[in-house]
Amino acid sequence: MTAAPDQADAPPADSPPLLQVRGLTKVFPGVVAVDAVDLTIARGEIVALLGQNGAGKSTLIQVLSGLYPFGSYSGEVRLNGQLLRCHSVAEAAAAGVAFLAQEVNVAPDLTVAEGLFLNNEPTLFGLIDHPLRQSRAKAALTSFGVELDPSTHLGDLDLASQQLVLIVRALSRNARILILDEPTAALTERETARLFGRMRALRARGIAIIFVSHRLAEVFDISDRIVIMRDGRISGTFRTAETTREAVVDQMIGQHMTSLSVRRETALGVQALEARGLSVADANGREAVTQLDLTVRHGEVLGLFGLLGSGVIEATMALFGASHGHVSGSILIDGQPVVVGSPVEAVAHGIGLIAQDRRDGLSGEHSIYDNVILANLAGFSRGGFVDAVLARRAVGELFDRLQIKAPDVDTLVGTLSGGNQQKVQVARWLAAGTRIMLLIDPTRGVDVGARSEIKRIWTELAEAGCAILLVSSDAEEIVEVCDRVIVLRNGRIAGEIGGSEFSEANILKLAAGI
Amino acid sequence: MKQPNPPADAATPYSRLLKSRALRESTLLLVLLCIWIFFYFATNGTFLTQRNLILLALQTSIVALAAISAVMLIVTRNFDLSVGSAVALIGVVVAVLTVKLRVDPTLAVLVCLLVGLAMGAWQGWWVTKIRMSSFIVTLAGMLYFRGISMIVTNGATVAPLPPSLKQIATGFLSPLASIILIVVTAAAFVAFSAYELVRGMRFGTVTNFQSNLMKVALPAAIAAAAAIWLASSKGVPYLIVLVAVCAIAADILMRRTRFGVQLYAIGGNPEAARLSGINVERVIFTNFVIAGLAYGITGVALTARVSGAIAGSAGLFLELDAIAAAIIGGTSLSGGRGRVFGALLGALLMGSLNNGMSLMNVPTFYQDTARGVVLLLAVAIDQLSRRRSATIR
Repeated sequence: MTAAPDQADAPPADSPPLLQVRGLTKVFPGVVAVDAVDLTIARGEIVALLGQNGAGKSTLIQVLSGLYPFGSYSGEVRLNGQLLRCHSVAEAAAAGVAFLAQEVNVAPDLTVAEGLFLNNEPTLFGLIDHPLRQSRAKAALTSFGVELDPSTHLGDLDLASQQLVLIVRALSRNARILILDEPTAALTERETARLFGRMRALRARGIAIIFVSHRLAEVFDISDRIVIMRDGRISGTFRTAETTREAVVDQMIGQHMTSLSVRRETALGVQALEARGLSVADANGREAVTQLDLTVRHGEVLGLFGLLGSGVIEATMALFGASHGHVSGSILIDGQPVVVGSPVEAVAHGIGLIAQDRRDGLSGEHSIYDNVILANLAGFSRGGFVDAVLARRAVGELFDRLQIKAPDVDTLVGTLSGGNQQKVQVARWLAAGTRIMLLIDPTRGVDVGARSEIKRIWTELAEAGCAILLVSSDAEEIVEVCDRVIVLRNGRIAGEIGGSEFSEANILKLAAGI
Repeated sequence: MKQPNPPADAATPYSRLLKSRALRESTLLLVLLCIWIFFYFATNGTFLTQRNLILLALQTSIVALAAISAVMLIVTRNFDLSVGSAVALIGVVVAVLTVKLRVDPTLAVLVCLLVGLAMGAWQGWWVTKIRMSSFIVTLAGMLYFRGISMIVTNGATVAPLPPSLKQIATGFLSPLASIILIVVTAAAFVAFSAYELVRGMRFGTVTNFQSNLMKVALPAAIAAAAAIWLASSKGVPYLIVLVAVCAIAADILMRRTRFGVQLYAIGGNPEAARLSGINVERVIFTNFVIAGLAYGITGVALTARVSGAIAGSAGLFLELDAIAAAIIGGTSLSGGRGRVFGALLGALLMGSLNNGMSLMNVPTFYQDTARGVVLLLAVAIDQLSRRRSATIR
């Protein structure tokens, strides 16, 4: 549980740096993902790794964490001067490199204690020592300030708590360097603050941390140094205290960016989507949303903001007919009452949804083409037969228009970066001519460059008369893109903000009930 | 990412997906070729005679029919363990109607197709409305379809079928008609491909007409030439025409229709399909109804081939052979991938082993063992080749 004690002592001046990467190059068929990267990281240093989608950040940290076996890349990685020759994540972990992947994947039927010590169980006479495991788990959780019962099932925890368990697990193996891929993507502000507190404590113990993030505020809050990648190379390194957000963003994009904001003035049309007295129960029968009223007009981007558990996601899924629990209240489209009992009906009424988890919205083993045509099979078919030539042309046009970065439309979606996967989802609804779009956390795990590109896309859609409901846990994004926002708290409307009151601080205050 | 090739290659007809599919089926063809060459020498040439190859095709036909519907179900992550029993029950229906009740054979066949559809709808109802796993529903079906067949016939064989029905399995299309059919089919296929390429050129999605057309026309010409050689002395058996018609229809259904796209989408990611507005339940239900139609067709064909209904042993282990053929042919058990053509090759590979080893007088027990090993190796090769291609992230 504790870091190796010798790590706390200041190393002799002539000792090698904790992590030293020299000439690291990783090539995939057709792509040089990481190109001759040199990187040195000292003990007790927190390094933020930034870059646009496809800049090579993920590949770099995956090489460091043993995901690609030794020999499948060129160049060398040294930990405390020792050449790392890891063939798996497990070997890297044993060597002291702990890695936490971006996607939170836990076995839901394990308890917290079982999850923490998975494959590392304390034993007594060859059998698992259950009481010792419970007490160690309790101690580990307490030492990292995570208040969880070790016998809770992981599947009963929310995403943020599951992630904290995984972080505790990664740290509990004598890690000397911790690699986090977007650790805060699923966390609330409070949990993020708690995580950062733990990261600072680790830094004080001499543990180095590399983390990938797209949230500049957090990067400036926690990191000592910012390393920026572009096109597989390190394009810049900054001391966090000596630089500015603008300088960092410029370096990431590789050109001077005039403004992050894409606000515009549009004349609002008639009401497109209206919910009256919408109440939604979750799959367990608990009421998640109570008596929600909202209206989105054509040409409008309405924000729906709420902290974890506030009911924003349940409400949106209900509007799409994809709720797993009981739904009451009425839904009107273009002023007409409609029944939206299933996604089939929602799509028929011209509603499109971009799911919170891209894994729920896309089929990774299928091509861009296969994924894009799904919502508009009727439009691409004649007498039940898909007109592949027509469909390919349409998909090709969207591919070009949205500037999806891939060799062609036959590229497997699973091989694309997060931002490009998100564009594939947008393309699917554009192909279907959808007029009402529901977006749930659409820029989660998407880098700054692709973010502003995606934001520009839906601003254009709104200008073209689409109605957009944007559900986001990022208040900054809401302020930037939306015309107004409805804030939910505990399943009820806490308030609506627009006009001169429209600010991040007001949204967060309303959501938290301050 | 840094791209060694300029992004201009977005317009070229290069396709990783198609390439990997083609690679997989050509690997299978190569394996099949090796096995055939081996048997050619091991049987002193008997294996590769016209006569034996037609026999091989006939022996493979029933499994091939069942494998076609197996592919369709496995693509959506569903299983059908009831095929063998369902086929036996259809056999009982056709035999009782024609032998005992003296019903007109054409009418009897129509009734069989309807009964098959009903059986498929029945199982589909349990899977989609009660939301049971298809594995369980069809496992139960495997037991009670067989049971009902035994109850109705009291375990006795119902035979012999009227000659007109037997004709389905024993008759041949005349050589001239066969050759005309083969040529017309191949020509239609090439013409349709050319038509699509022309439209693609007009839309700018296809750049090189000639090389693309050759990729289609050359294999078609080779296949047609082989088929003409086989048909030149006696013609093509009706049963093989039936298999070909079913296979082509199923392939068009899976790869060219909305329904087919929905099948693959559901198999690839059910949640994504649902959120795209696809009526998953209805598609799966239809999937089972089509499987039911396949029971009808396969049941009549099998009964005609053995000239009577044997409730106890007809179609025994057919479901396993069908699934094996589909898997060898590249259908993914995790869904979203699989083609009818591959399953036909898989069935042919298994059939070739049976036929070749029988010619060599290898005892049955050894044959089963060999087939098991081949199944294991075929899927292993598939897994290994996929791992290599799936390292891109």
